Amino acid sequence: MEPDEIKRLTELSLTEKIEHAKSVIAEGLERFSQDALYVAWTGGKDSTTMLWLYREACRALGKPLPKTMFIDEGSVFEEIWELVEQVKNLWNVEVAVVKNTDVSAKAEKMGDLIRVADLNPRNRAEVAKLEFNDESFPFEPESFVGNHLMKTVAMNVFLEDKAVKALSTAIRWDEQQARVKEQAFSPRANPEHIRIHPILHFKERDIWDTIHANKIPYCSLYCQGYRSLGAKGSTFKNSDIPAWEQDLENTTERAGRGQAKEQVMEKLRDLGYM
Amino acid sequence: MGIFKKSKNNFKPKSVVVGLDGVPFSLLANLRKSGIIPNMSSIFDNGYFGQMSVSIPEISSVSWSSFMTGKQSGEHGIYGFIDLEPGTYNMFFPNYLDIKALPLWDEIAQNGKKSVIINMPATYPAREINGALISGFVAIDINKAVSPRALVPKLNELGYRIDIDTAKARHDPELLFNDLDATLAGRQRAVDLLWQEVDWDLFIVVITGTDRLMHFLWTAYEQEDHPYHQAFLDYFTKLDDFIGQLYDRFINAGTSNLDFKKFYMLSDHGFCKINKEVYLNRWLEENGYLKFQKNPPETIMDIGSGSRVFALDPSRLYINQESRYPLGTVASSDYDQLRQELKTGLEALKSDSGDPVVKKVHFKEELFHGPYLSAAPDLVVLSNPGYDLKGKVSSSEVFGQTDLEGMHTQDDAFFYSSDGAELKSIFEAKKMIRRPF
Repeated sequence: MEPDEIKRLTELSLTEKIEHAKSVIAEGLERFSQDALYVAWTGGKDSTTMLWLYREACRALGKPLPKTMFIDEGSVFEEIWELVEQVKNLWNVEVAVVKNTDVSAKAEKMGDLIRVADLNPRNRAEVAKLEFNDESFPFEPESFVGNHLMKTVAMNVFLEDKAVKALSTAIRWDEQQARVKEQAFSPRANPEHIRIHPILHFKERDIWDTIHANKIPYCSLYCQGYRSLGAKGSTFKNSDIPAWEQDLENTTERAGRGQAKEQVMEKLRDLGYM
Repeated sequence: MGIFKKSKNNFKPKSVVVGLDGVPFSLLANLRKSGIIPNMSSIFDNGYFGQMSVSIPEISSVSWSSFMTGKQSGEHGIYGFIDLEPGTYNMFFPNYLDIKALPLWDEIAQNGKKSVIINMPATYPAREINGALISGFVAIDINKAVSPRALVPKLNELGYRIDIDTAKARHDPELLFNDLDATLAGRQRAVDLLWQEVDWDLFIVVITGTDRLMHFLWTAYEQEDHPYHQAFLDYFTKLDDFIGQLYDRFINAGTSNLDFKKFYMLSDHGFCKINKEVYLNRWLEENGYLKFQKNPPETIMDIGSGSRVFALDPSRLYINQESRYPLGTVASSDYDQLRQELKTGLEALKSDSGDPVVKKVHFKEELFHGPYLSAAPDLVVLSNPGYDLKGKVSSSEVFGQTDLEGMHTQDDAFFYSSDGAELKSIFEAKKMIRRPF
């Protein structure tokens, strides 16, 4: 996407942003059949807002709401499950829960070592692709191997099995600039499909404004001060005040993610690294 | 029975290795002359004691990984404390799970040999070994730093600490010395415990307090009128007691055949005084190679469009290749020329006082080879002593100063062997130590 176009879209009014998102959604619904399009739903604020936008667009167009895909990476907050259950019933959402059970069945708890040799051929091949040669790895969804198997592989297998042609995700340009190359419709390989990005141009503040103005349900963890939700074992509060009351413009949204990483960084900083 | 067992044990090879993180050859040679370290001094009188070079970059995670595997980064895969996930700017912290070559103790375990490893950097999280392992820096959680896990409560009872409280100690010398003593005492108790508890063949203990002390208070070593000069020397005397006891217990106790006992000591890099810190990313920005998307940037993930090169701690340069990174700009046809240009530019860099900052810029193929070469930095910079290279992203000047006083050196580590075997490079240590096993 051209920088000028990104600037224009991210500076629209909220009403205009919502209209633009709905037009992306309408184009997606036009291009892909009901069976071939899934909405990636994490139970977080961004993807729930995206789902609400789909619901609004579908109502206006007289189309059914697309099915959703929820990745269970093995460490989901109870509060997220509650929100998913609530919204599912409220909006009548069809949810496909996707889980790499071949991996998760081999661990009783976080941190348990899983032997690569015990995995099915697909997972073994995926581990080899990472150039990971150890015999075992710890079951931790946000670790290098764990993340790949429990999120990426779980999702790719689902996309292949269901012959999904388009997956809508709730990434935003303002999260990191490496995302500037993303467009409303971005092709992906392995497996080949289109990513639909209806809310690329939303800022974190826009998400909360949309949620509050339209009474969109949100996960109770945000009230406790969490701003960005990941796996349960590695996500922490940014502050004790609700997410939307924090200084969204000048502090980091994902600072509460990957706390062990934060601790490592602290140790390194003390000795002059980072 | 007892007599047979004992005499059999006399011919069983046993080795002890003491690692002194960051301790320079030149410092030990100096303290030896001034009588601060009498035990080490007499140990060094018997055997080989000399200067040793280490990995580039000269940092603990890379150097100790090279020690334990006998390989360089292209073969063991560890290039620094921080690395990027392939094809992204996402940082991760390589740890023990990422080492791709077999450490010494796992190799000798194949011959049934047992090891005790205490406080070895770059071994976190701990995994099962034949014997016992306590991980060192950067270990966060003691519960994940010890194998077998059953040792955790015992170590807690002994007041074992992984490291000093670096966050506080950096700004508080009193607390620094208290913490150094407490941590050394805890290390001593862990040594006592595992010396008895495990029927070991190889025993390794690493002292990391030395590195902390020299980072924070190097001038206390150099300046005799420094308020903490004596405290600095006292710490080395306490360390000397620790080593003396260990050596006596190992070499002098019993009637064992000395030919089968080997005592080694080494460091993973040297130290010297920081004259200036040098911020490579700022140099890249000022010379038009690097742009950040926001000001100030927080991490390398804030890299902006149009960037051609970026740096990671402490001295690694990466060409932002089109084929490799999401915001990549450099075509492979321009790669060689750009590297040459960077080498020329950096080797010409002078400090305010006119000193050449850089000793040598290495291309990756000069330093690394092996299956993990693709993850290597494209260039690694080796500085002259006094100029401490940093990969920090937010700096308004190329040169700066912080409260850190000491920096690592690459060619002034040390090695000692009780059998007189010479060793000049840390990459050779594993081969030597594993020979009897």
